[in-house]
Amino acid sequence: MLCTPIEHSLSRRRFLGAAGGSALSLGGLVTPAIAEKLRKERRQVLFVWLDGGMSQLESWDPKPNTPFGGPFRPIQTTVPGIQISELLPQSAKLMKHLAIVRSVSTQDNSHSAGVDRINRGDPKNRGVVYPYFGSAVSKLVGSNDSGLPSYIWVKPMNGGFIYKDAGFLGPKYGALALGDGKPPENLLRPKEITTEDDDERNELRKLLDTKYAEQRRKEFTEANTHAFEMAAQLQKKIELFDLSKLPQKDQDRYGSHDLGRHMLLARRLLEEGVTFVKVTSYGWDTHGDHFNGAASLHPKFDRPFAAIIEDLRDRGMLDNVLVIACAEFGRTPRINGHIGRDHWPEAWSVCMAGRGIKGGVVAGKTNDKGTEVATDPVDIGGLFHTWYKALGIDPKETEFRNGGQPLPIAHEEMKPVKEVLA
Amino acid sequence: MPRLLALVVVAGTVGVNPPLAKSAEPLHVRIDAIIDAKAKAENAAVAAPADDAEFLRRAYLDFAGTIPPVSVTRAFLSDTSASKREKLIESLLNSPTYATHMADLFNVALMERLGDSPEWSKYLRESFAKNKPYDQMVREMLRANSKDTNNVGASFWISKRLENYGQNPVDYSALTRDVGRLFLGKNFQCCECHDHLFIDDYKQQHFQGLHTFFKNTFLSKGVVAEKLTTEKHPFASVFTKIQMTTGPSLPGMMMIDIPMFAKGMEFVTPPDRKTNEPGVPKFSTLQAISEQLPTAKNTDFTRNAVNRIWFAVMGRGLVHPLDLHHSRNPASHPELLTLLADEFASHKFDIKWLLGELALTKTYQRSSVVVAGKDTPDARLFAVALEKRLSADQLLNAMLTATENDAKVADTLRPKFVKAFANQAREPEDEIAPSLKGALFVLHDAAVLELVNSKPGNLVERVAKLDDAAATDELYLAVLSRKPTETERAAVAKLLAKHTDKRAEAVGRVAWALLASMEFGVNH
Repeated sequence: MLCTPIEHSLSRRRFLGAAGGSALSLGGLVTPAIAEKLRKERRQVLFVWLDGGMSQLESWDPKPNTPFGGPFRPIQTTVPGIQISELLPQSAKLMKHLAIVRSVSTQDNSHSAGVDRINRGDPKNRGVVYPYFGSAVSKLVGSNDSGLPSYIWVKPMNGGFIYKDAGFLGPKYGALALGDGKPPENLLRPKEITTEDDDERNELRKLLDTKYAEQRRKEFTEANTHAFEMAAQLQKKIELFDLSKLPQKDQDRYGSHDLGRHMLLARRLLEEGVTFVKVTSYGWDTHGDHFNGAASLHPKFDRPFAAIIEDLRDRGMLDNVLVIACAEFGRTPRINGHIGRDHWPEAWSVCMAGRGIKGGVVAGKTNDKGTEVATDPVDIGGLFHTWYKALGIDPKETEFRNGGQPLPIAHEEMKPVKEVLA
Repeated sequence: MPRLLALVVVAGTVGVNPPLAKSAEPLHVRIDAIIDAKAKAENAAVAAPADDAEFLRRAYLDFAGTIPPVSVTRAFLSDTSASKREKLIESLLNSPTYATHMADLFNVALMERLGDSPEWSKYLRESFAKNKPYDQMVREMLRANSKDTNNVGASFWISKRLENYGQNPVDYSALTRDVGRLFLGKNFQCCECHDHLFIDDYKQQHFQGLHTFFKNTFLSKGVVAEKLTTEKHPFASVFTKIQMTTGPSLPGMMMIDIPMFAKGMEFVTPPDRKTNEPGVPKFSTLQAISEQLPTAKNTDFTRNAVNRIWFAVMGRGLVHPLDLHHSRNPASHPELLTLLADEFASHKFDIKWLLGELALTKTYQRSSVVVAGKDTPDARLFAVALEKRLSADQLLNAMLTATENDAKVADTLRPKFVKAFANQAREPEDEIAPSLKGALFVLHDAAVLELVNSKPGNLVERVAKLDDAAATDELYLAVLSRKPTETERAAVAKLLAKHTDKRAEAVGRVAWALLASMEFGVNH
């Protein structure tokens, strides 16, 4: 069980209440000036999470003709000298936008520990629960005035508001999860209520609320107002969720499978200005029949991943949006008795693109068989440094504040991967 | 010199001894004396007394779990007797709704939405109906003896926590932590692996000693059973790595000696390998904790119990957060916490008596309206009544009462209300947390909208037949338990006048607006 400190008992109410004025917020930045400067430029993140662990050998770091290489061939990318697996043909065409770190080496071999540590960036044990990257960026960058929550998570299955991602920042910085890419339950107004009737009843409600709020403490009334405002904002964006209105060509390029539809929704959310969009795909934990699994899974990632990179590029959005494809670990070079690959945090790859990233680059390498990292290993803390730098946030100048306690935004003893920074 | 002067003034104010009430006086008088003294010392803008409507609604929600029916409101507002508030409190504490509401309150507090069972609900309802002493209830929960036919449901508190979730192992750490949090007011979670890093009072020994009572418990066919506890429990801090051992022990109390029995003599009833029936050990750690924990001499128990009851009635713990009693997080009014704990114990842990005393205080009967033009006092001073969260059940009951719909639909609607308004499992519902989900539910869910459709015998049908002025009065009395202001009368009249052809629908929209308002959605 994770050690949850006193700070964890920060209030859910405080978080919601903080939406209006930042005075109530405890997890503040060191200087408001920096925060203001950050908000002026739109910076966004697309975080693609391949839950269970994508095999680096069948994706970003193929090892053909080696004992562990498996049956798939590498292919040339559009950048001379860089090869990736033939299972990612679309991504190969966009290599000049992509940067691959092949020397990722992390600590946790189990899903439960790995998911948490990778998402939180694993700053040394500070006795507090660190925010997930999405919550951290949501805090550091702000909401971009999209009218939508700053951290939206598109995922299969259930949705809801996932405040545990926020750690000590307080639940305001949690994720609004759109289960199966669908809008929150009850978002649609029933047809029998006309717009006029709806306005009329809400006007009377607001009249009551204004009078009530004038005479009361602020905590509850502000939080309640925020909840109803978020409901109203999302209702206005209801068309976001109707992908069928998009050109058929778009839908075909992304694919009609979960990750395809979810990535297309992610593009729409990024276009709207949402600061951090996380897209999760499940089912990558291929302990058995790995190669058939990979042959089916990897293209399901490749197609929408390449499509969104193209679309962001065509819209000029790669200058703003940092794109990351990541998991909790890679997979073992050794092929197990079930023709599977197991968990392998020792040596795996992460791909990124977009804002602050130099495209067409491979940083670090693994040894010939792909079993170990052959260059300086990059732990998740180093990747967080890289990503913050790419977003123009200097981990040396910026820190979180938890109550009075200053906390680094990334592991203090680690450094960014300079080769991939623009 | 001005600085020095300020110091003198401050010292002068703080130094005044609060006019402590004599112990012969009833508890509610003594409570007010302590609260008032501190509010005065801190120069807090104390709110006016709640008016009858505010008081009536609050007392109903707190002790009956719903708002007053419109007939009660009307009668109470026109009642001129000086003792009507005392009479109301007395009557609410002795109504059947008292036990139902207490069962909801304690279920939410003690189970934290982990799950529910009919036996558990029944156990809570019957216990509160009998006004069973709280120490006895906790004893029965911790003993978890499902063979005690009168109290089968009590074992649910532990049995639910001994279940596996999916493929995960039984979370004994969470069980240990919950005993600390919910019965002792101390969250030892951080102390499983080391002494607490920030709270000097919380030691790894505390977690491990508590854990030793539960480490040998398990579920056998859904029933709580125990393996033998024959030796001390080993543990080591992840920092020092020094090997330690502990017997079962409560924080601040003597470690219990683990008795030795000759081989073959350890059980009252030995386990039966044929039927897979677990044995009953002679030394039961559950028996031990159930005897040791809920007692007058265990101040952790008594202080936590009164602090949580105070929280339920006053909206904030004297110690807050509720599960962080320690020396560097003292009570807002330390002498009050001690007084309540002592009095609760000497009144044989009589919850109804304590609630009655709290309800009689001026502190409880203050308005939640802050004093205009003055700084809002710190919540810790209890100078202005604090708003309290409504549980999913309270909201459902209140909506049904307000809209005069048949209470029979409650069972159908309850799961929807719980989904919309309850926290996730293990998330204490200890503060008001308006959510997007809840807002959308009120705005659009058929479960709510249906309530304000005109149906035979319901509020909207009844009110639609009245003239505008009477309709407005009736809606406000029924839903908000008060009369409308002139501005509100005018606004509603204007709305209704626009829809003379579809009057029932218009009345329904007004009723909805009142239901969806902040004033309705919270216990203020």
